[in-house]
Amino acid sequence: MTTSTEQSLASGAPNGSGNSTAAAATQALNKTYGTGDTRVHALKNVDVAFQSGKFTAIMGPSGSGKSTLMHCLAGLDTADSGKIWIGGTEITALNDNQLTKLRRERVGFVFQAFNLVSTLTAEQNITLPIALAGGTVDKEWFRYVTSTLGLADRLTHRPHELSGGQQQRVAVARALLTRPDVIFGDEPTGNLDSKVGAEVLSLLRRSATEMGQSIIMVTHDPVAASYADRVVLMNDGALVGELERPGTEQILAALAKLGA
Amino acid sequence: MLQVALAQVKQHARRFIAVALAVVMAVGFLTATLMVNASTEASLGNSVGAGFRNADLVLSSGPDKPLDEQAAEAVADADGVAEVYVQQQTHVAFGTAGEAGYGALQNTAPSAGLDNLELIEGALPGSGEVAVDDATAERLALTVGSKLEFAPGAGMAAAEDVAASGIPATVSAIVKASKDPLMMGQPQFFGTSGFIAALADEQAPVQVRSIQLDLAAGTDTAAAKDAVAAALTAAGFAESTVNTAAEQTKEVVAGFTGGTDQLTIVLLAFALVAVLVSALVVANTFSVLIAQRTRELALLRCIGAGRGQIRRSVLVEALLVGVVASVIGVLGAVGLMAGIIAVLQGRPDTEFAALAVPPLAVAVGLVTGVVMTVLAALAPARAATTVAPLAALRPAEDVRVGNRKGKVRLGFGIALVVGGAVVLGLGALNANLLIALPGGAMSFIGLLLCATLFVPPLVTAVGALARPLGVPGKLAAVNAVRNPGRTSATATALLIGVTLVVMMMTGAQTARTAFESELSAQYPVDISIGNLAEDGGQLDEAAAETALTYDGVAAAGLITTGGYATVNGQRTGVYQLTPAQRELLQDQSLTLDADTVLLAEGSGLDTLTVTGSSGSKEFQVVEVSSFSFPPLMSSAVAEEIGVPAPAAADSEEYFSALPQLWLSVDRDLDATALMELRSELAAGLNVQDYQISGAAIERAAFNQIIDVLLLVVTGLLAVAVLIALVGVANTLSLSVLERTQESSLLRALGLTRNQLRGMLALEAVLIAGVAALIGSGLGSLYGRLGAQSALGTFTAVVPDVPWLQLAAVLAVAVVAGLLASVMPARRAARLSPVEGLATV
Repeated sequence: MTTSTEQSLASGAPNGSGNSTAAAATQALNKTYGTGDTRVHALKNVDVAFQSGKFTAIMGPSGSGKSTLMHCLAGLDTADSGKIWIGGTEITALNDNQLTKLRRERVGFVFQAFNLVSTLTAEQNITLPIALAGGTVDKEWFRYVTSTLGLADRLTHRPHELSGGQQQRVAVARALLTRPDVIFGDEPTGNLDSKVGAEVLSLLRRSATEMGQSIIMVTHDPVAASYADRVVLMNDGALVGELERPGTEQILAALAKLGA
Repeated sequence: MLQVALAQVKQHARRFIAVALAVVMAVGFLTATLMVNASTEASLGNSVGAGFRNADLVLSSGPDKPLDEQAAEAVADADGVAEVYVQQQTHVAFGTAGEAGYGALQNTAPSAGLDNLELIEGALPGSGEVAVDDATAERLALTVGSKLEFAPGAGMAAAEDVAASGIPATVSAIVKASKDPLMMGQPQFFGTSGFIAALADEQAPVQVRSIQLDLAAGTDTAAAKDAVAAALTAAGFAESTVNTAAEQTKEVVAGFTGGTDQLTIVLLAFALVAVLVSALVVANTFSVLIAQRTRELALLRCIGAGRGQIRRSVLVEALLVGVVASVIGVLGAVGLMAGIIAVLQGRPDTEFAALAVPPLAVAVGLVTGVVMTVLAALAPARAATTVAPLAALRPAEDVRVGNRKGKVRLGFGIALVVGGAVVLGLGALNANLLIALPGGAMSFIGLLLCATLFVPPLVTAVGALARPLGVPGKLAAVNAVRNPGRTSATATALLIGVTLVVMMMTGAQTARTAFESELSAQYPVDISIGNLAEDGGQLDEAAAETALTYDGVAAAGLITTGGYATVNGQRTGVYQLTPAQRELLQDQSLTLDADTVLLAEGSGLDTLTVTGSSGSKEFQVVEVSSFSFPPLMSSAVAEEIGVPAPAAADSEEYFSALPQLWLSVDRDLDATALMELRSELAAGLNVQDYQISGAAIERAAFNQIIDVLLLVVTGLLAVAVLIALVGVANTLSLSVLERTQESSLLRALGLTRNQLRGMLALEAVLIAGVAALIGSGLGSLYGRLGAQSALGTFTAVVPDVPWLQLAAVLAVAVVAGLLASVMPARRAARLSPVEGLATV
């Protein structure tokens, strides 16, 4: 029913050393917060690789280190030691400017909330990363993405004129438009009701299947995780197992074992 | 990123109102100040140039020799000179049916080319004819063809006699009144040179005002100028000047304004303060705007905006707001000045007023406004770049003083405070405002940079007073300093306005006290009335009794001549003072014994011989530190040498020996009452307002000026205070937003809605009150040092703190703090406990 812990670690490590098929990978990643008594070991020697073109979910109880792992992978936070790769580029050695450039060209984000710049229209929000990079928008791709996401008639609206689900779809479109190496989702359906949430998750699922987009999503929700190709389980800052194409029941059982 | 900046400004235009308002005011102030100077010069030029506006070259007398007909003949032959107009003027008496008076008579130009008159009707005067200005014509009901008689205007000959014995002339034309300053304000007549010559006598000779030249067409002005100057030198008028009309206007105006314009300098100082204040307000407001947008900025960083792009975006916003606000400021200044000029033009004695909008004023206003806004936004823009991308995912962390940047800032601040204090002290010691001002500004900016050092502890200390109010009081005291940086920034904005307002109040109060003691020394009595009544009669005992009947007049005395003497080469009357009249003197330390006379400063005399009707006596001279003090001796000595008969009307000493009326007024009369008393006295004694002067009048006039200035300055600074209070409200709403969950938790645990509101109100009052307290202290100090620097050279400055006004400032700050908390508190209280806790 579940894959063993040893197996999951074994499958993560070899790909972690800069394998070109990995969308993102880490090697011996360590991260601590605080000092003295309040010291928290958020990541302990994490070795993991995320396959290109796949939809992966990271799950675990609160404080398991899943958010920290994602922040480090996305270059939003720095690790104490270890290496991180995004699409074959080691990002641990990059400075702020290089990281910024990497973020706008090779990484996409979908957050739980506060995803959009409130003063810009949906279209301006979607094209913002390209505008920041000073590039030109691939018109055809833009039309394909926006029509696939059902946003074609919502492009001139501002965020406050859109529903929560529409706002998240705009965020997904923004992430897809640059054809990044990987899209990171931080509880992207956390603020949505289950029906709208399912819509957004299906979109992410289709992005991986139809467009070959690599997606890494952090979530609490076993239903959300069930849309993924692979679920990576974390506890106390370490990888403790993984599931291939699991159902909701399987995930719940695995989480129960972790004492979550 | 331009897109983001543009969208920001467009979508959130209201957020930028505080910034724009500050910039508009500062730029408007600055531009208007620069335009005051240019407009004054343009107006004066308009007036001064009226008398020679059609001349190519204007010749004026040098110090060696006045210009005359001989000079005119000499230049007439110079190369290029086509026409010569010797402009002459004299003072004449005129009479017409039942009316008589005095006026100015000027000759007309020999040809139309040099003519300066604007004909309304009729033709230029020929022999036996005059032109008269429209105002006089209307007053005397003169029309073309009316008859008048003229006589030499000197002496005090009764004007009525003119009608009987004068030279007759017919009005040939009504002309527009000349704006020439030497012609304005009196009846103006224009006739032929011959007519002027016939009316001149020794007492009122013909004055050659200028010789005006018309050059032949195609003549090179510079060459002609040289030729004319050479001709003048050859004829013996080496020091006379030759100018073009424009040059002449400029020269005369410079003579009027003394080259530099004091008013502009004073106003510029205020404008600089306004610019400084608005820069700080802009910086503060931008900081709050950035803080409100932390999450959005972090999101932008997440999706790939570089630090440079974030900085540029904020600066572009500042640039946009700066440009728009500066343009509005300049337009506002032009509008304001145009309005003032229009009002002045509508009044007969200032109708020559002209609006000048020098391109420099516009450029300086625009550039200052834009540069100031962008510079002020630099620090907030840098703060924006330090927003970590992760901030999009977690609540903003507090910035504490302990970090490196904070230390650098504190070090810089302390260095500025110490350096500025030294410079300010030097300025105060040397009584030099130009040194003190930058020193004061430096130390103040330093203090603002160090605000995090002393504002939070003070808020905590004052917050201890709120403890007896229970849990809300305790929480408010703690919450007020929860984010020391933000508390300091908010308090600082208010601190600036309060400090400057209190500085102005203290400065004004100190200046008032200093000037009052100075004025007592400057004028002999509260009020003195001199010269002749309007009907030509002298002031007498009856006038003194009339004066005593007015409310506010405490005592009155008629001062008459007791002898004659020569002071500074001028025959003058020496007044006698009775022991009773001595009580009227401002300076009661002055005594008069049998051997002394009191003289005004600068006589250079040790002894003075005074002649009476029966003998003369040599007195010791005691100089009084005043320029407007008539020679005084005691009435007892005057009796000894014999009180002489009044001086004859045509004698040299006539005007300096006329009886004067001296009054003392009730101490508690305010400025308005004094000005009213002055008008009443003028009407009751049949004299002009200007004949009534004295310490009380000057004090009232001076107080009025100070009060108006203080009102204007306080008004201008009040807007800065208002903006700062918007800042307090801003900060509070931000805190409320951040503490939504905590507020809900407190509500869930049993804090009532009113207690929550009270807690926030207390927090606002704490911040505003402490800012006002610090501001009052600093303002008093700066005001005192500023007054010392500005006035130290000519009077002893005694610090004088306007306690009542200080109390008012504090009260206003506390009430304003309460008001600022209303909106945020309402929002916080509206939230139900469950809602607040549910929001992540």
